[in-house]
Amino acid sequence: MRKLVFLVLGVVLLAGQLLAQTRQVSGRVTDASGNPVPNASVTIKGTNNGTTTNADGTFALTVPNNSRLVLSAVGLAVQDVAVSGRTDFNFTLSQEDRSMQEVVVVGYGTQRRKDITGTIASVKGNAIKNLPVQSFDQALSGQMAGVSVTMPNGVLNNPPVIRVRGVNSISLSSFPLVVVDGVPTFTGNAGGTASNNILGDINPNDIESVEVLKDAAAAAIYGSRASAGVLLITTRKGRQGRARVNYDGWVGYTKAFNLVDVLNATEYTTIKNEGLTNAGTPPVAAPGTPARGFFTQNDANGKLIDTRWYDVVYRTGISQNHSVNVSGANDKTSYFFSAGYTNQEGMLVGNDFRRMTGRLNVDHKVSSWLQLGGNMNYTNSINRAPNTGSLPGQAFSIAGLGRLPIVLAPNVAPFNADGTYNINTVANTIGQGNNRTALSFYNPQYIIDNNKFSSENDRIIGNVFAQLNFTKWLNFRTVYGIDNLNVTNKEFRAALHGDGVQFAGAAQNTQQTYRRWDWQNLLTFDKAFGKNNVNLLVGNEQQYSNSQGWGADRRGQTDPFYDEYQGGFGTIVPAGNFYGENYLVSFLGRLNYNYAGKYYVSVNARRDGYSAFAPENKYGNFYGGSLGWAVSEEGFFRNSGLGKNINSLRLKASYGLVGNNQGINDYAFYSFFNSGLYGTQANLFYSQAGNRNLRWESSKKLDLGFDMSLLSSRINIEFAYYKNDINNLILNNPQSPSAGIPGNAILTNIGSMKNTGIELTLNTTPIRNTDFTWTSNFNITTLKNTVTALAEGNADIFVQTSGLEQPSIIRVGESIGSFYAVRTKGVNPTNGQRIFVQRIKDASGNITERDVQYNHAAAQRWTNMDGTPATRGADQASDGQIIGPALPKWTGGWDNTVRFKGFDFNLLLFFSGGNYVYNGTKAGLRDQRNWNNSKDVLTRWQKPGDVTEIPRIVFGDNLSNGSALVQSQNVEKGNFIKGRNIAIGYTIPKTMMDRIGINSIRFYAAVQNAFTITNYTGFDPETSTNGNSNGSPSVDRNSVPQARTILFGVNVGF
Amino acid sequence: MKLKIISILIIGAIFASCQKDRLSPIPQTQLSDAVAFDTPERALQQVNGIYSALKGGQFYAGRYLVYQDVRGEEFINLTNNGVTAFLTWNFTVTPTANEVQNFWAAAYATINRANVVIEGLTAAPIADNLRKNYIAEAKFVRALSYFSLLQIYARPFTEGNGNKPGVPLRITAITSSGSNNIARSTVAEVYAQIVKDLNEAETDLPLNYATAELNTTRAHRNTAVALKTRVYLSMGDYAKVITEGNKMVSASAPFQASTGVANKLNPSIATTFTSYTTAESVLSMPFTGLDLPGTQNSLNSYYNPGPNGNGDFALNTSGNGIVASTAWGATDARRAFNIASGGQTYLRKWPNNAGSLPDWAPVIRYSEVMLNVAEAEARQAAAVSTRGLALLNAVRQRSDATVTLAPATKDDLINAILLERRIELLGEGFRSSDVTRTGGSFNAKGSVAAYGPSSNLYIWPISNNELVTNKEMVQNDGY
Repeated sequence: MRKLVFLVLGVVLLAGQLLAQTRQVSGRVTDASGNPVPNASVTIKGTNNGTTTNADGTFALTVPNNSRLVLSAVGLAVQDVAVSGRTDFNFTLSQEDRSMQEVVVVGYGTQRRKDITGTIASVKGNAIKNLPVQSFDQALSGQMAGVSVTMPNGVLNNPPVIRVRGVNSISLSSFPLVVVDGVPTFTGNAGGTASNNILGDINPNDIESVEVLKDAAAAAIYGSRASAGVLLITTRKGRQGRARVNYDGWVGYTKAFNLVDVLNATEYTTIKNEGLTNAGTPPVAAPGTPARGFFTQNDANGKLIDTRWYDVVYRTGISQNHSVNVSGANDKTSYFFSAGYTNQEGMLVGNDFRRMTGRLNVDHKVSSWLQLGGNMNYTNSINRAPNTGSLPGQAFSIAGLGRLPIVLAPNVAPFNADGTYNINTVANTIGQGNNRTALSFYNPQYIIDNNKFSSENDRIIGNVFAQLNFTKWLNFRTVYGIDNLNVTNKEFRAALHGDGVQFAGAAQNTQQTYRRWDWQNLLTFDKAFGKNNVNLLVGNEQQYSNSQGWGADRRGQTDPFYDEYQGGFGTIVPAGNFYGENYLVSFLGRLNYNYAGKYYVSVNARRDGYSAFAPENKYGNFYGGSLGWAVSEEGFFRNSGLGKNINSLRLKASYGLVGNNQGINDYAFYSFFNSGLYGTQANLFYSQAGNRNLRWESSKKLDLGFDMSLLSSRINIEFAYYKNDINNLILNNPQSPSAGIPGNAILTNIGSMKNTGIELTLNTTPIRNTDFTWTSNFNITTLKNTVTALAEGNADIFVQTSGLEQPSIIRVGESIGSFYAVRTKGVNPTNGQRIFVQRIKDASGNITERDVQYNHAAAQRWTNMDGTPATRGADQASDGQIIGPALPKWTGGWDNTVRFKGFDFNLLLFFSGGNYVYNGTKAGLRDQRNWNNSKDVLTRWQKPGDVTEIPRIVFGDNLSNGSALVQSQNVEKGNFIKGRNIAIGYTIPKTMMDRIGINSIRFYAAVQNAFTITNYTGFDPETSTNGNSNGSPSVDRNSVPQARTILFGVNVGF
Repeated sequence: MKLKIISILIIGAIFASCQKDRLSPIPQTQLSDAVAFDTPERALQQVNGIYSALKGGQFYAGRYLVYQDVRGEEFINLTNNGVTAFLTWNFTVTPTANEVQNFWAAAYATINRANVVIEGLTAAPIADNLRKNYIAEAKFVRALSYFSLLQIYARPFTEGNGNKPGVPLRITAITSSGSNNIARSTVAEVYAQIVKDLNEAETDLPLNYATAELNTTRAHRNTAVALKTRVYLSMGDYAKVITEGNKMVSASAPFQASTGVANKLNPSIATTFTSYTTAESVLSMPFTGLDLPGTQNSLNSYYNPGPNGNGDFALNTSGNGIVASTAWGATDARRAFNIASGGQTYLRKWPNNAGSLPDWAPVIRYSEVMLNVAEAEARQAAAVSTRGLALLNAVRQRSDATVTLAPATKDDLINAILLERRIELLGEGFRSSDVTRTGGSFNAKGSVAAYGPSSNLYIWPISNNELVTNKEMVQNDGY
């Protein structure tokens, strides 16, 4: 067998070495309007030999007599022509089908777009660089159909919420698999109080393109990890020609955007005292008894203290970004070297992100049969942040900076007259000034100045590869990649005031290491047999990951001076310990076949074995297949009337089965006992109820679509209908709490969900002249998500926000995470009480509705509308009802670029809607404890007949407006259009630049998050207090708003 | 040459294509159920694990005790914080309130841990007497957990002799799905199981352990007896309280246990809260700098003002609060726990910072056992019980030697004992039970009205999480 292999290989290799007679040829390449095309590639067909055209479009090359020349240039159609004795060639390349000719990165390889029958969206690197983002994924918002990217809020390096064609899991991750230069990378947030999206370790300026695999035909090659889509990141390579040097730099100014107005000092005292009076406990002016009431005070200069806490917490952050790269290639070696530096100040005081990156990509052809290369990226990044209160789980943090400026009394100051912090060390609250009723929140000034949090990454991502070209049509490629990430999280909380008081001052350092290697061995066969084009890939991939964390919390600061872990502290407690490893082994294959570029068939399959499942369930099989028909290549079509206007038309369909194991615990199937301490004694305790039957989540994906190019490719349309039938969803199958199972749940493959929708992309060029072009790319995606099965008995799942509130529900028949609230009917004009709708179930299960009203000041708080006592109060469990979906039903973007001579103008709109947003922040902003309120509270009910949104103010009332009860009045429509990015640039004419040796210079100014058009009354309807949580999207609870950045930049090419 | 390289690479790739051992990694930091009871050391650690559940933040580390106390009139809520028992204090809990759901889950997690360990111990490689000892400890914790659940989620036994709905009774280990649905047993049925567990525990528990620390942190025979006095008292079975009490309370002063651990009062109550392992502490939940109660869980955090606590609750110094009562003498040593600060008076039985150096949380103190027996004697006697009065005075005079209580009638004695419980056990989790088992009303306090036995708010609602997953569960009336 071995001999036979060698024999075959030998023959194959010899065949490639046959030589032929040669001759010198030359020529010129122009585009349709006669302009020279520089940098066009001219190669000898079937080889890698060739050259590129000069600035005037000319080239010269030595070619074999009987060969064919292939011409290609970015944006132009490929042409090939026989040499057959000619020496002089003039080519005119048309712009037809340019998008179809693009080479697109696909799983484990590349394909021409026109040969792809799967659904792949792609974005070029130029569209995501030069933006004030920390990670490239933040820049993808609005750019691609079917790929929804939303920012949770304006906290630096907070991972965006990315959903490819909807939510694809309930308990596991719905974040797509991210593959960098062929090697799957770690994703997620490795930070603690300081956010750390580890995708921020990749310099956006290094990225050549981002491809998103959406349907089964494209993604099934990634098998068990493909359910939520796959993001393929390709970094830049050197291009044929001399060394090029590029510098990109910008400086930006960042501010909070869309803050809600709150009461000033006098309004605050008026409202709160009115509440006290209405509660039957009127304020007693100081020094009275009992101590009660709210009173303003003057500062040392006799000026009224009226603190705008927003000004304490928010700032204008100044950011800068620099990236320089050197790249080039000859016919043997290509190289790309880059260095990047970014230092970004966020809108919150103390939120600073700094990153340094270095990258080297090299690709070398050692000989006609051996190609070697590799990519290496090193990153050091650090994000410093205050406690923003805006990351998942933090919404009710009493030290969160999202919340403090909206709840703190405006009639007290951050500092006392003598310059000390205004704090009450007994109650551990802000000092209450002249107020006689106690205040209950921390002084953010002290927290900002003293507490500090950071998350720092040291990371190497790299791969090496060797490719053996046995023949022109058979090659073997082996790739070994690593992703080594070290994370250091530091937290310090001071002893005197704030959330450090409970620990008497605490410093916590934790270290996390993430190690991964990935080894791929791929054999590719690519050959045409007449009109039959065959591409076959078989391969093996193994991936091993190990993650560990350790650290400690030192408590009981021995001197206020110490704010580093190594300083003086009394006790030490372990913190941040974890240990896990997992291994994935896969066998994969793909066959692409087309007949004459008209009829396409593609089949791919993958068998995955994964370590987290029980031995009897480790392996799973996945597949995808597609059919394509290039109608426009048919003679009958070309000759028909349609053919004149339609440049290309392709129909395609795909179906497949993919899986999801992303986010599953490394030892998910085990039943476990954990160790701990009982006082001084060691203990063991039941900590996980396992399930040996656990398997992958599976997703059956159907995709039907077409793409069409009209009017000389000035209009390109892509359309797809998709349907994801997701089964075997791993759910925390709720166990009744009385069963006492750890966590009251057992992971079980039990849920089902469905996503359906359509995607439409319209890429048009309304105007295309030499001096003036306008390109307009519009995309929209609809999504209908329906949960179809849940755990035992399809019991509803209530999803908590930060452990306190559960506005979201997962219910069969509804969209995941729909809002579930008690319905309210406004404020009763006769008495100023909010009206709630109760749902009364009779013995036979029929539900009737009954209105009740709530008066916090009365002994009998709940009454019927006639004033008689209500049998019970309204509560979410008994009276909750679905208010509407939280997932947007439609999202999209509209990207317009206008070029006029040297000027360019870009407007990227991002829109989303059809859903609701839970404005929990508003519930807090109308809370009638000592909290400050939004300005709209001034329109409160005061006398019979007042018609208003705001009930009669009763001090201590945390129910009427939603703090203690999720109400429909706080569930608002989430439709919006956002000016995501507006940029204007000017490129200095080349003629001027040539003289000083510079290839190109472009200056630009841009604004990110320029405006939002919405009826939403909170900060911003683009929000996610719960981050990437599947089950509780669109919740807005005490998070900071989005940031707006204005930046000025320059791109220089040498 | 070329061919060699190629063949080596391809063959290498095929060989390396799957590393079977990596496909089945052994977890390095947890023990799987297959080996969790495999050694005597692990068996003991499993028993400690049950106590750790009892000691959980939602349970005896603090929150359960806090809920019991702040339902009563002794405390005023200062922080209006829904996370830290405001709704309980305010009588506005709902089935979805965090305390209603979390405490329910914590108690049942403890019960299942006990059940899992009882099952796991049957095959553990340990001596039979040790096996009995460990299982008895598990039964003790299970009994205490059920008793605690009944105090808050069910009507008192004394109302209809336990014929009201109790809580689901689970006495076998649950480690997989399929056990969601179970109906509520009656209060009497649950009490019967508690008594059965405690009787069996008493038989198999050792008289004592090797160290004072273990005698305070693990159940010994007197611990089971002590809990039985509490259980029978809440059932109104006073004869049994006396029978059990006699096992560890001598007939006359000086009162102390004559067998097993020599439980007795400390000369000074202050010692009890600074030295955690004295003979007065029959059972306490231990904490160390490495084993902390967690944020917003400890008694320290609720009752201390800053900087050592959150100051969620101050003592009610007016009206119905015991602090305002003249029956509590000014010279009483126990008043030393009441510290004025920032215009409020705080209970500082647990004064340390719970984030770094938490105090131990009491579960059973000898003075409670004395007062249990005293009350039973008082109620059983036709006139003023001599022993009951002697026990009461022993507790009072330990802290205030200037007072000798001399109630004129049987009822006066009972009331004096109930009052003494409010003073002696303030902040230790007895007030709500003492109100409900005697059919009393929760007195008004601050802005909160009084709630009598006729109100549905007299007890908590059942956890909503239980209701949605357990199809046989029935909500308490009025919720």
